[in-house]
Amino acid sequence: MNAIEVTGLSRHFGGFKAVDDVSFHVGRGEIFGYLGANGAGKSTTIRMLCGLLTPSAGDAVVAGHSIARAPEAVKTAIGYMSQRFSLYLDLTVEDNLRFFGGAYGGSGRALAVRIDEMLERTELGDHRRDVTGALPGGIRQRVALASSLLHRPEIVFLDEPTAGVDPTSRRAFWRLIRTLAQAGTTVFVTTHYMDEAEYCARIGLMVGGRLVALDTPAALKSTWVPGRMFNVRLPGQAAVDRLAARPGLLGLEAFGLGYHVRLASGADPRTFFRPDEVVETVEATLEDVFLAAVATPPAACATKG
Amino acid sequence: MRFGRPLQRVLALAAKETTHVRRDPRTLYMALGVPAMMILLFGFGVSFDRDALPLAIVDQDHGEASRRLERAFVGGGEFVVAARPGDPKDVDGLFRKGAASAALVIPVGFARDSARPGGANVQLLLDGADANGANLALGKADALAQAAGVGLEHREVRGSPPVEARIWTRFNPSNRSALFLVPGLVALILSMVTVMLTALTVAREWERGSMEQLFATPVGRSEIILGKLLPYLALGVVQLLLVLVAGSYVFDVPMRGSIGLLAMMSVLFLLGMLGQGLLLSIVTRNQMVATQIGTMSTMLPSMLLSGFMYPVENMPIVLRAVSAVIPARYFIDGLRGVLLKGNGLAQLWPQVVALTIFAAAMLVASTAAFKRRLA
Repeated sequence: MNAIEVTGLSRHFGGFKAVDDVSFHVGRGEIFGYLGANGAGKSTTIRMLCGLLTPSAGDAVVAGHSIARAPEAVKTAIGYMSQRFSLYLDLTVEDNLRFFGGAYGGSGRALAVRIDEMLERTELGDHRRDVTGALPGGIRQRVALASSLLHRPEIVFLDEPTAGVDPTSRRAFWRLIRTLAQAGTTVFVTTHYMDEAEYCARIGLMVGGRLVALDTPAALKSTWVPGRMFNVRLPGQAAVDRLAARPGLLGLEAFGLGYHVRLASGADPRTFFRPDEVVETVEATLEDVFLAAVATPPAACATKG
Repeated sequence: MRFGRPLQRVLALAAKETTHVRRDPRTLYMALGVPAMMILLFGFGVSFDRDALPLAIVDQDHGEASRRLERAFVGGGEFVVAARPGDPKDVDGLFRKGAASAALVIPVGFARDSARPGGANVQLLLDGADANGANLALGKADALAQAAGVGLEHREVRGSPPVEARIWTRFNPSNRSALFLVPGLVALILSMVTVMLTALTVAREWERGSMEQLFATPVGRSEIILGKLLPYLALGVVQLLLVLVAGSYVFDVPMRGSIGLLAMMSVLFLLGMLGQGLLLSIVTRNQMVATQIGTMSTMLPSMLLSGFMYPVENMPIVLRAVSAVIPARYFIDGLRGVLLKGNGLAQLWPQVVALTIFAAAMLVASTAAFKRRLA
């Protein structure tokens, strides 16, 4: 059975459809990435899956329990790390862990042992007695992760866990997540860092409350940004317009100082580009997928996703 | 590790709340420092006791007996001679200027009448504009005149028509206002400070965003309320002891009744106040707003409508109705009953019932208003 099974899940706030008829499933031990712009409905989805928000329509079965009918049973089976790493900043790292462990019903010797274990696993041993508010974001993030894992949840939901954290800490954090998944924990993670999304086994792409695409990173790239991609320096707007008019062009997006140009498989780059255009071949990234998905009208998305 | 145990969850919350308090000295200062300061300031500052009342003496007899009576009035320090007008008509002017608040008129023939079996009479004129002061002056003068074996005929000027009063003060024979004020102060201080303690706690979690994390755990809403209540109840009990001990040592407030009954009423009152703070915190989700409503909804009613300073019986019907739902009123009655009169449950059960109803209502309302979902 899947760890998460979502069917027709919707959440409306008044007339606003924050999440609109979303269906997908996540397998056990999978790292599932949930991508989208701010306000696309990522956090609303995650809050519904954690039993924090009641769905307006549809349902999801999380760790074997319905989020609409048994949200309390869902809560005991999952871990949740909210966007702001909601720790108590005036408490020490250990105080925070002891509290969250207790909130899940842990106590005494067993909890103390488990806290030691988590501190070691997240490499927080040195910070045990530090006041959480005085620690940098990267360390707080690990404390938040540790506190959501104390009760050995089957599934852990991480809502933008790396927001505002430096690249080194982000890298270390993802190493932790991979270890976690290897040990069998299902990881559901939202992010808007496209490089991080590459670490996920599968990715769902949210645009305006709808799930417009869901696949492995490689498949998403070949579906959404087919053809070959080149990075081109163009001398001015006139050159851009001229290039846009040539046959065989699939996509043209400003990227860094130059442009990402996508050519249909039939087009020959040697004849397509003019000699004064500096061209290099590049790999399509999830960012290209994201830009393509956001630019596509919803009706067209449905056929691709 | 086993999960799903409510007691562990409540204890975890209570321990966390205690750590918050330990790490934030301001909470402790507010919980213990402010009450201690308030009881000293109020206890010494607010007093209805009047010593050295300015007295005008109109001596028309000019005898040895007159001087003896004057000495009786002035000797204890209750009155000081402020003027000696020749004519009782001048007393009005003295009252108007505020130069005297009472006048003793010793008529011609006072010395002669004192020697007779029927005794002599003097007249006491009182400035009724300050009704409170007039009453005190009357009480004191009456006692002094009786001691001196003189009949006292008194008349309030600018006030109500003459009344004959036979005063016999029980339970607080020296009429010290501290005895009357301290129980009221205890209620006032506890209600203000205690509501504040819990008014901050839930709103703070909303403001910091930790409420969402808390809701993601299996902790139930009644568990959150209990876990937040218990540490502050303990703090409230310490506060109560501090204020009561200060009251009894500094102001010699007696303890005539049962400590058990006192403890029961105090805990009920504290629960009600903590519950009120929680309710405000839950409904407003904002520390600032909760604090302000908390102060307004406790300080003014506890001060003005509880019988702390003004007797409830004298209030217009509307205010009396309002005062019926103010827990401080019942707590003050209860405290005065236990401390000063030594009353037991037989007399004070209505107060105990009222306090229980208030505490239960606040806790039920808090739990009902507390939505464990985000929207």
